[in-house]
Amino acid sequence: MSILELRQVSKLFDGIKAVDGVSLSFERGKITGLIGPNGAGKTTLFHLITGFLRPDAGAIYYKGKRIDGWPSWRIASEGIGRLFQDVRVFKQLTVLENVLVAFQNQPDDKPWIAFLSLRWLRNLERENIEKAKYWIQFVGLEGMENVCAEELSYGQQKLLAIARLLAADAETLLLDEPTAGVNIKMIRVILDMIEKLVKEEKKTIVIIEHNMQVIRDVADWVYFMNEGKIISCGPPEEILENKEIRRIYMGIQNFTPIVGR
Amino acid sequence: MSYILHLLILLSIYSVLSLSLNLLVGYTGLFSLAHAAFYGIGAYITTLLMVKAGWGFFPALVVAILGAILLSLIVAIPSLRLRGDYFVLATLGFQTIIFYILYNWVGLTNGPYGIPGIPRPKFLGFEINSIFAYSVFSIFLSGICLLLLWRICMSPFGRTLKAIRDDEIAASALGKNIYRFKALAFALSGAFASVSGALFASYMRYIDPTSFTLMETVFILSAVLIGGAGNIKGPIIGTMFVILLPEVLRFLQIPDTIAPNVRQILYGLLILILMRLRPQGLGGEYKLQ
Amino acid sequence: MVAQLFANGLATGSLYALSALGFGLIYNTTRVFHIAYGAVYTIAAYLLFALLSRYGIPLGIAFLIALILTILLGILIDIYIYQPLLCQGSSFLIVMISSLSIYIITVNIIVLIFGNEIKVLRSGIAKTFTLGQVILSDIQILQIAALAFIFFTLVFFLKWTNLGKIIRAMRDNPDLLSLMGIDLQKIRWLVFGLGSLLAGLAAMLQALDVGIDPHIGMSAVLTAAVAVIIGGVGIFEAPAFGGLLLGVLQSMVIWKASGRWQEAITFALLIFFLLFKPEGIFGQRRRLEEK
Repeated sequence: MSILELRQVSKLFDGIKAVDGVSLSFERGKITGLIGPNGAGKTTLFHLITGFLRPDAGAIYYKGKRIDGWPSWRIASEGIGRLFQDVRVFKQLTVLENVLVAFQNQPDDKPWIAFLSLRWLRNLERENIEKAKYWIQFVGLEGMENVCAEELSYGQQKLLAIARLLAADAETLLLDEPTAGVNIKMIRVILDMIEKLVKEEKKTIVIIEHNMQVIRDVADWVYFMNEGKIISCGPPEEILENKEIRRIYMGIQNFTPIVGR
Repeated sequence: MSYILHLLILLSIYSVLSLSLNLLVGYTGLFSLAHAAFYGIGAYITTLLMVKAGWGFFPALVVAILGAILLSLIVAIPSLRLRGDYFVLATLGFQTIIFYILYNWVGLTNGPYGIPGIPRPKFLGFEINSIFAYSVFSIFLSGICLLLLWRICMSPFGRTLKAIRDDEIAASALGKNIYRFKALAFALSGAFASVSGALFASYMRYIDPTSFTLMETVFILSAVLIGGAGNIKGPIIGTMFVILLPEVLRFLQIPDTIAPNVRQILYGLLILILMRLRPQGLGGEYKLQ
Repeated sequence: MVAQLFANGLATGSLYALSALGFGLIYNTTRVFHIAYGAVYTIAAYLLFALLSRYGIPLGIAFLIALILTILLGILIDIYIYQPLLCQGSSFLIVMISSLSIYIITVNIIVLIFGNEIKVLRSGIAKTFTLGQVILSDIQILQIAALAFIFFTLVFFLKWTNLGKIIRAMRDNPDLLSLMGIDLQKIRWLVFGLGSLLAGLAAMLQALDVGIDPHIGMSAVLTAAVAVIIGGVGIFEAPAFGGLLLGVLQSMVIWKASGRWQEAITFALLIFFLLFKPEGIFGQRRRLEEK
């Protein structure tokens, strides 16, 4: 069952087709990999899906609704969450505050609430803090709730970003290079988490990765992209064995072995 | 003694001004140079309704607040579309235009001649006339504003504002309507500034546009920057600093004619030093980005 | 009548154009929103005043001395204020606030030394020239001539000299330039020096024309910034057109409305352009996503 669908989507930058007539669909409850050399258009595709860029042609559908042209906050509210390549934690907020911001049920867009029932607000906050602590512990950052996000290491910031995404309760997660810059143990943690999210929480996940072992490890289906086009797609073993793809990818492949497999 | 009360009144008025500017600068990350315009609009609407239409203070205040909210949205909606330097320049442009209108629309505002004879507020039939009574009134009304501002800053709304300040793209990816939050912050900020305007007008019993210039915005901004942005105590510290420093200067017997200039030089130097060494100010949290 | 207003506007506009070219030069290459440009402007005017009236130095020499000192000042501001901040990674906002602080400190020092009143540099009636229906003073003609000279020199410089090309490249790709072995530091000095020269020139021409007061700097820098935006950010020659346009429109306002509303034109145009044509007259529409 396809949850996210792109039809003939194109995006031009100064005449260059960053994304060229891309059509693909992402299956609900599955982990789809999006691979390709640098500059292939993968992150641009994420920008298009999440509304940070508008397609010049084509359409994007999420759960049957057409979402291209929507502002990015609205697409996010629909249930598409995103992990950025450059992490983007809220640097001057604490770990706890970072996660608290992400909750979707809070009346944070209604400042006048602050004038009214203080007790109701306090109860809601207490509930949210409990939930936030759960996610912080889930990603392994317990004890660091009151640490300022900018004091965390890169890997820890990534975990925080993941916790934030989980707190936002996004149905569909777009992860842009989730294991880049992270040490091997953390990679294992992140991959286990990804699998758990799909098995237990029934999330749909799309991963952009350069680490082929990660793709081999968790992906159910892979799209290979080059120069803005989808070149081929299929199960990971098939795609990764393909000589043509290896040729295009030569020198960029990363065979970091995963601990425990 | 009445001088101390005068200082207290000024402190109360300026605390609200600096905390409301802080909501924009420190919490939302919007460096607005238009604050004195909302302060002025609050003063003028209250004044015109009281002097020319005979309204009481409180009804006039309500209209002034609504007027300031409307004006903030007029300023916010175009300006928020702009990034960085352009945004600052746009707010500066609005500040100048609004000042211009106050100064040149003599038919409505009396222009540079100002409006004298502003009555003091009447509460339950009792006119708040003496400086002591007014100081109590001012502290009380400002206190309410400060309390509300404190609640806003501590609420989920305040937290989300800070997130937008730190990274609006990430906030947007979490479903936050950036534009709406910023516009709300603007409206709230303007609303509180207008209360200060009303308090100022009724206290001084006379207003003219020269109290609401760009330099006035810079003065309020100095309080926020020196004291520090991004939390509650920073701007309060800053306000005390900028209001009380002149007294220190007087104590050092610097003549009144040059005192304002010496003061501004000191603020300027202090801000320069702070920006270099401690951008979060004396007591603030947010290191301006 | 209209022709006279137009000519006056051209003269004033030339001043705006000169300072806008300087401001734009600095902004387009270093991306610093140099509010302290107003301080440089004010100091140039007052230096000239002091040299002329307090030390009785002849005009030509005083002009040169003031110009040189102004250039030095502009460069020093960059070296001691902006560069240390940029080195420690301060944001544009902190740089802008520091720039504003410099302006405030400078203006207040000037008030302390010279007082708040308007100072006139030349007494008596200026020489005038009549061209058809239009009468222009010698200073006004000098203003227009100065702009013409500077403008064409600048265009030539940017287009045909190596240094000019380097300056143009500095906007988009400073890293590439330093990789090519070009000392960015010296280029910044050049840019700030040139910008300050233009500010000083405009300031002193204004001083000789209508006199000075401590607040001319803020007016000047705001008008310059608006002219840069109207002309088109990123294009070095465009601010000249923005400045001329502003000067002429301001002058025309007197024809239809009261002179009181002159400055409002500047900000009305600013708001208009920011809303509807932020790339300016000569700029290209940039992609919305580029922030």
